[in-house]
Amino acid sequence: MAKVIFGAWDGDVIDNRTKKIFEIGEYPEFKDFDEFNPGNPIKAFFGGHGFFIFEKDVNLLDAALQYMERVARESCGKCTPCRVGTQIIRSKLELLTRGEGSVALLDEIENIAEHVKFTSLCGLGQTATVSVLGMLQYFREELESEIASRKPVSRQHCTTYVSAPCIEACPSKVDVPRYIDYVKDGKFTHSLGVILQKYPMAATCGRVCVRFCEMACRRTQVDEAVGIKVLKRFVADHERFVTNEWFSSYAIPDKKDADLKVAVIGAGPAGIAAAYHLLLQGYPVDVYEAKAVPGGMAATGIPEYRLPKAVLSKEISIIETLGGQIFYNRRMGREFTLKSLFNNGYKAVFLGVGAHKGKTMGAVGEDPHLEGYAFGVDFLLRINHDYIDRGIPMELGEKMVVVGGGNVAMDCVRSALRMGVREVHLVYRRGREEMPADHEEVEGAEKEGVIFHFLTHPTRVISENGKVRGLELIRMDLGEPDESGRRSVTPKEDSEFTIEADHVIPAIGQQVEHGFVVPEDNVGFSGWGTIQVKTESLSTSRKGVFAGGDCVTGPATLVQAMAQGAEAARCINDYLTCGRVRFNPEARMSRLVDDVQPMIRTGVSIPIKHEYRVKIRELDPDVRKKMFEEVEKPISMEEAYREANRCMRCYRVYSVITEQ
Amino acid sequence: MIGFINGKEVEFEENETVLSVAEKYGYFIPTLCEMKDIHHTPGTCRVCLTDIRRKKDPRHHIVTACTTPMEAGMEVLTRTPKVREKQRLQVELLLADHNQDCASCIRHGNCELQDVAQFVGLTQTRYHYPHFYLHRTRDDSSPAIMRNMSKCIRCLRCVTVCRELQGVDALVITEKGLETEISVRDHLPIGDSDCVSCGQCILVCPVGALAERDDIEEVMDCLYDPDVATVFQFAPAVRTALGEEFRMPAGSNVEGRIVTALKRLGADVVLDTNFTADLVIMEEGTELLKRIRDKDILPMFTSCCPGWINFAEKNYPELKEHISTTKSPQQCFGAMAKTYLSEKMELDPRRIRVISIMPCTAKKGEAKRSEFFHEGIPEVDVVLTTREFARLLKREGIHPGDLESTAFDNPWMGEYTGAAVIFGATGGVMEAAIRTVHHAVTGKEMAKVEFEPIRGMEAVREAEVNLEGAGTIKVAAAHTLKAARKLAEDVKAGNSPYTFIEIMACPGGCLGGGGQPRSKHAYQASREERREGLYAIDREASVRQSHNNPQIQKIYSEFLEKPLGFKSHHLLHTTYRDRKRMIRHTMKEIWREIEDRL
Repeated sequence: MAKVIFGAWDGDVIDNRTKKIFEIGEYPEFKDFDEFNPGNPIKAFFGGHGFFIFEKDVNLLDAALQYMERVARESCGKCTPCRVGTQIIRSKLELLTRGEGSVALLDEIENIAEHVKFTSLCGLGQTATVSVLGMLQYFREELESEIASRKPVSRQHCTTYVSAPCIEACPSKVDVPRYIDYVKDGKFTHSLGVILQKYPMAATCGRVCVRFCEMACRRTQVDEAVGIKVLKRFVADHERFVTNEWFSSYAIPDKKDADLKVAVIGAGPAGIAAAYHLLLQGYPVDVYEAKAVPGGMAATGIPEYRLPKAVLSKEISIIETLGGQIFYNRRMGREFTLKSLFNNGYKAVFLGVGAHKGKTMGAVGEDPHLEGYAFGVDFLLRINHDYIDRGIPMELGEKMVVVGGGNVAMDCVRSALRMGVREVHLVYRRGREEMPADHEEVEGAEKEGVIFHFLTHPTRVISENGKVRGLELIRMDLGEPDESGRRSVTPKEDSEFTIEADHVIPAIGQQVEHGFVVPEDNVGFSGWGTIQVKTESLSTSRKGVFAGGDCVTGPATLVQAMAQGAEAARCINDYLTCGRVRFNPEARMSRLVDDVQPMIRTGVSIPIKHEYRVKIRELDPDVRKKMFEEVEKPISMEEAYREANRCMRCYRVYSVITEQ
Repeated sequence: MIGFINGKEVEFEENETVLSVAEKYGYFIPTLCEMKDIHHTPGTCRVCLTDIRRKKDPRHHIVTACTTPMEAGMEVLTRTPKVREKQRLQVELLLADHNQDCASCIRHGNCELQDVAQFVGLTQTRYHYPHFYLHRTRDDSSPAIMRNMSKCIRCLRCVTVCRELQGVDALVITEKGLETEISVRDHLPIGDSDCVSCGQCILVCPVGALAERDDIEEVMDCLYDPDVATVFQFAPAVRTALGEEFRMPAGSNVEGRIVTALKRLGADVVLDTNFTADLVIMEEGTELLKRIRDKDILPMFTSCCPGWINFAEKNYPELKEHISTTKSPQQCFGAMAKTYLSEKMELDPRRIRVISIMPCTAKKGEAKRSEFFHEGIPEVDVVLTTREFARLLKREGIHPGDLESTAFDNPWMGEYTGAAVIFGATGGVMEAAIRTVHHAVTGKEMAKVEFEPIRGMEAVREAEVNLEGAGTIKVAAAHTLKAARKLAEDVKAGNSPYTFIEIMACPGGCLGGGGQPRSKHAYQASREERREGLYAIDREASVRQSHNNPQIQKIYSEFLEKPLGFKSHHLLHTTYRDRKRMIRHTMKEIWREIEDRL
């Protein structure tokens, strides 16, 4: 465990300079701070709230200089103190590290550093000088003795990292403040470019993302989170008409050898993201999709009124523009096998097969073969495929019960209304607050007239002549939260009741279908039935086979799947170019940043003018519930500029000094 | 809600900023980037620092007054030693990043940064790093607007005006850190960009980063060249604005003093653009009626405003047949000066130099259009903005306030009507045209000369004009290019209800032109006075309809024959171009730029 010799963080000072190294107590917060990568000790850590020194021979002037260099380069350049002040501090520190200048410079640095901290416009400037100020205020004598030696300092090994809470929250690590900055700057193409650095499905993500970023947004301490998702949709929609011209083989800097072929199994978000990054790195990529359309769960599981298929297919077509091929109706384990892929010359395989098999409710009389019984994802697939795409009519009867509390359940009930089902019930075993679905989705369903039954559990499927007739249910009592924080539920005695229904749709989760591999393929599964991978490399137990997305994580989100696809592409590239997955300093810095979050105690302490978040116009519930047109309307350019200006730019600069 | 500023109780609404409350109660807080008139508080200069203490927090915080809301029970101190020291340091940092070659600066003596340095009591500048700013962009590619980013303080007012008021959105922000600049979209020189040269950005620039191209030397060359004859024209809106540059009351009509001043400068002939404004009405009015009669392309847009022409050619080339082919008054003047006037005055047109004084920066570009050159000779040789003209007078030691008025005395192109002078205000061209079109169709003057519905400051005003036998037409007048875009979109979509549309690029029309006197820390501060001045001239004019101008009647009978005739078609009409810019980036290029920024 790393020992803190001295440091200052959010006003707390640690000073163990007089102790012997073995006398210093252990700080559990730093259990992950011993090494940066194997054999490479972390000697110092700097951040927007302070700094920690773990080894005596760290040169503070150089550490401060390298930190301030990054800060000065990151300044957005709009406000005076950050733009100019950080540069002046940088140049004074540079003088000192050259062995020039006197201790008097420290007063000047301190004066400007305070000024930058207290008068800068955004989060970057307000935290840019905190660590330098900590040194000056509590450990000035260390700096003075370094200056007194009057020797030029050689540069230490330093890794810098810039991030923000929204970036850290995003599985794909999209540089959110930067794409918002580009909106402010009036450069929408650049803004979209920032998103496209991470994944090709920007307009899709701008519609259906679950927004981990907005949950982490610090603007909530003032009024409401910035509309990060809606801005993403805005730039993606604004630029969509030229998408094809942006991506051509010209976008690929250097082609890899033609025999380094990669097969991607599944054209869902994970597979598409993996294929996209591999293609950009110059690999020949073939994508195999079991269904007749690409998009995976994004195409089959998300209804048209939330994600028009034209948007999705336009973005997936980037794969083909980049030279990748997508083969449809090719199911692994049916048309081909893992063995045949390797026999056909693929050097690496990415499995992104998803989790498509519906889970049963465990109710008496439940039989997936009953007429009127369908799993949520299958129900949505039929609407998307048979009804919307091919115009095949669906007989859904008068009444329907959907069971579940996630977005798939919400998609089912809202789609059922649009299909003309007169009475749509939603049954969920916990309370409204516990529903995992987006609250916007729940509200949307309520406005459209879905009948909710919270704290209710299905006990028996009533059927007659192989046809669903209804569902028997029981009320539940909510108990205390368990270890995972979820509250348990217990059935309430004598509270059974029945809902008549022509259809029962369980939407309580999906599983991975296992038919795509055989035991000889040597691809291992976890106890949950998901594909087992090493977290740091996404590699399966079979050499050259990588996996990601729902088939690894279980049913998750679009952005998590895309993040895994991108990560897998990085690992496959490493595997194909150096035979092993290399150390990723960015991911390491991200983990260190995560470790220090609990130590942050300062929030937004000065008043900030309230500017409420843009209201998204929606189709009227009475109109929209009868059709599949997109419910949310785009925002205007004025609204986009205004929304972008709400971003507080909570960038923080971090750095580590390491041995090598 | 109740709070305290410097110990005194103040009342305010929720979310009202410290700055606005302080201002209301008369506490002065120096500001620089902020500009209330255009609702601009970017919070970038960080000069308006104050000390606050929140009700439940014993600590004092230094915050910017412009972005911080007042809270109930909050105590604000505007003048503590710490506040003053921080404000001084802020301005010192601003200056470290600013090219302080003040003596040669276009804003010398009229600079908001200098003002702020005084307000905060700056006594020294310790930080001098010429490498911070000396390499920054200087762009002189436009005939109208000069950009010197070594002076820029990143107040972003120009971006706001271009984006939000004009809807042109030609300016973007590039780079980061010290390299941050206000730049032109797609890295183009401003002369090749979406910029329409309206010059509104210059009106809001607090320093000398944005300025008109200075053509004073060229005018002096003409004035002191014995071999050339200088023919001056000045636009309607100049006469009620120039006085401001000489501390005369806003809106004063200095027409007669301008004539005297020009003669004092050595001008050979001094004439009035108003005369050709009347001529434009004759041509444009006839053109409108012809289009209505022939069921030709309608609605017809006016063509006087070169900012609008630039905007239309760059954004709506598909609408170019909708624009009146009549040249602007400036160009009609040049064309007439080098034909009709030269004939009458027996001057060799090759020796004539037509010099315009315009409220407008875009007029500089208009004069340089290839359409307005004939055998290498321009119709208009040099264009000065009102501001340059004031500087020229100062350089020559002439103060209009000290001068007597002189009347125009040219028997050919000196007379004008009230209809011409209101060209300087938004709606004026429309009103003038209606006065004449009404007469052309009905044979009668309008019962009431003033056409009120089309006056005013709303972005778009519309009216119906009853042309008696010829039916009723719907017309509109719009100012700002944002409003123009809306009307153009409707025309493009085929659902514009109008027959005739006047567009002026600048807010208020020419009186608010990008070449007019600047106000400090205020946007178009004397717009009302300038407008009232113009309407007053119209009210008092003995002749108020273009067709009743005796010199106009004479030019047709002795030279042009008839509106839209062979000669006037040749001399007074023009064509427009498709200048829509097609730039397609590949994502690879975009990524390179994004990564360069990392």
